[in-house]
Amino acid sequence: MRRSWQMNILLALSLAFLCLLILLPFWWVVSSSFKEPQEIISRSPTMVPHSFTLQHFQKLLSSSAYPTYMLNSLIVSTISAIITLMLAVPAAYAFFRMHFPGREVMYRTILLAYAFPSIVVLIPLFGMFVKLGLVDTLTGLVIINVTFALPFSIWMLRSFFAGLPKEIEEAAVMDGASTLVILRRVMIPLITPGIASVGIFAFILSWTEYVFTSVLIVSDAKRTVPVGFSGIIGQYQIDWGMLLAGASFAVLPVIILFSLVGRWFVGGLTEGAVK
Amino acid sequence: MTTLKTACTALALIMPLTAAAEGVELTLWHMEQPPHRVARLQELIDAFNAGHDGVTVTQAPQNWGEIYAKAPAALAAGVGPDIMFVTPDFVPILKQVRDIPSVQEFVAEQDAKHDFIDSAVEAYSYQDGVWAVPLYNMAMNLWYRKGDLAEAGIEVPKTWAELQSAAETLSKDGVYGLGLPANKQLYTDQTVYSFMVNGGATEIYNADGSLRFDNPETVESYTTYTNLQKLSPPDSTSWTWGEAEACFISESCGMILQFSVITGYDTQGAGDPADLGVAPIPAASADDESNTIAYANAGLILSEDEAERAAAQDFLAFLLEPENYGRFLNMEPGLFMPLTATGAEAESFWTEPLTAKYREQIEQIIANSQNGQLFGFTSGRTFPSIAAISAQNLIAETLQDIVVRGNTPADAVAAGQALMVEAAAD
Repeated sequence: MRRSWQMNILLALSLAFLCLLILLPFWWVVSSSFKEPQEIISRSPTMVPHSFTLQHFQKLLSSSAYPTYMLNSLIVSTISAIITLMLAVPAAYAFFRMHFPGREVMYRTILLAYAFPSIVVLIPLFGMFVKLGLVDTLTGLVIINVTFALPFSIWMLRSFFAGLPKEIEEAAVMDGASTLVILRRVMIPLITPGIASVGIFAFILSWTEYVFTSVLIVSDAKRTVPVGFSGIIGQYQIDWGMLLAGASFAVLPVIILFSLVGRWFVGGLTEGAVK
Repeated sequence: MTTLKTACTALALIMPLTAAAEGVELTLWHMEQPPHRVARLQELIDAFNAGHDGVTVTQAPQNWGEIYAKAPAALAAGVGPDIMFVTPDFVPILKQVRDIPSVQEFVAEQDAKHDFIDSAVEAYSYQDGVWAVPLYNMAMNLWYRKGDLAEAGIEVPKTWAELQSAAETLSKDGVYGLGLPANKQLYTDQTVYSFMVNGGATEIYNADGSLRFDNPETVESYTTYTNLQKLSPPDSTSWTWGEAEACFISESCGMILQFSVITGYDTQGAGDPADLGVAPIPAASADDESNTIAYANAGLILSEDEAERAAAQDFLAFLLEPENYGRFLNMEPGLFMPLTATGAEAESFWTEPLTAKYREQIEQIIANSQNGQLFGFTSGRTFPSIAAISAQNLIAETLQDIVVRGNTPADAVAAGQALMVEAAAD
């Protein structure tokens, strides 16, 4: 079915409007991070910089622990995403492709983790982590991130597993493949887009996690970007240039990750899988 | 067996000596997280550690945003700091978690040596004790540009009526005459209380601990504030300190109420000390003396160990010594003001380049801060419920009731008192 030219124009305008809505704040943040301080807070905002300076980035990297925060964030987010995937894929496979007693109840129960606001469990968790020696450790943050990313990751993978025809598994069983072999050799390659989605979800969830990190981390050397960055901005007096430079840097890893993994977001990988 | 007993006895004798040789380790928590403040504190800590064998102080900067939940949890779990820089409203919260000994004797000793501003000690003096050692002050002031006032042919406002008139005169050509926040946030608590303290509504409590927020003076203060707030930018209902400062520095606001704008004005604005004006918060009428809100930040010793407490007192005494005190205050030049007479004269304070450049303004801030008061910490009428009232920003919420929801000041203040009673009961 062909679309009318009016519809095409409408779609193009809608798309342009959406792009503007999403990209304009990013543009303002990134372009302003290169402006002189006076221009940033000028009475007449400038969308195209009239001045250029790297002083905010220089200050951010030389006078603060921002590089340390970035490194910590990368370590915590990467490990959290990997562990989440390692647990979510077999769990989702078990929940949605296998039959065992209590399956229905269990996979509905896992979402209970989202029933409690994080602030409610924060203080009891702090006490528990003190006893386990996990306060002020990156390991503690990984455990928290995986705990909160895992339930939704399992649910996300459900639709990907559900989309696979049963015949694929049955063919593998007839060829004598064990459950693990079916998962590793047959299922995982077919749900690659789902794995990529879950990986990105877990990474971003860990990258932006603030509440638990702010309480469970005590020393500056262990802080991640959201928490460390909010501290260096200051409360009573704000260095707007440094704020914008830090914000520009903070989105870089997520953009890089998308550019690397984004190609996996193509559908139809299962097309032709069944002869 | 004899050899084993001898070894155990020897070990038992050596152990205490080993412990003593290990020395005292103190962890300092503070919320001065910007890198230059951390760096300056580290210089002072290094100097203290170098001059005090067997005592090691380490700092762990924390964020204001979470500290009200984090510090009590850490103390309850036994992993809290030994010393902490606090504001007065934080002490009642921590006192509920840990039995903090009074430092009355130590404060008296330092007072005799350095002469504290009375209201700073008063903010920590209640329930038969003095709970923390005053260290640095922040007081709210009225900031303006001298050139703008001269051009408009107006004098620096000294009364509420003059402030209204000046703000109206300055409101032209896209400039907002006065930037006042109306956010449900601490900054609004502070600016509103700056009016209350000038309008005879200083006391939140009666002497018996009952609340006296709902009174004609409070209503009058809110009425004045609301009228002035109409001259502020439309986004002022979501302002914190940074937005107000930016409004002033970018010359979008003619005047603002702020602790200090010096660093921002110098690095991001005009940077002209001859044009930057600072004045006391205007009084209700010409017959009244100007007052302001002031936060006397203090060092709270949380360790229960005698040796650690003694070492912590040594550290705080070290910071208060004039040769160190100025450098300590100048971790944020123009914002942190001395709380001692010796500190106000210290060469180490006035030789900092930015402090020297804006000396006229800083002298005025110090003068303004002499009358500083803090809600819930006045006249010894301090009760634990102030922690909840302060944490929930109920003074600011009362203003939002007027500015955002359109209630009358009288109704809003009555509702505010009801909220405070509820918070106190919880």
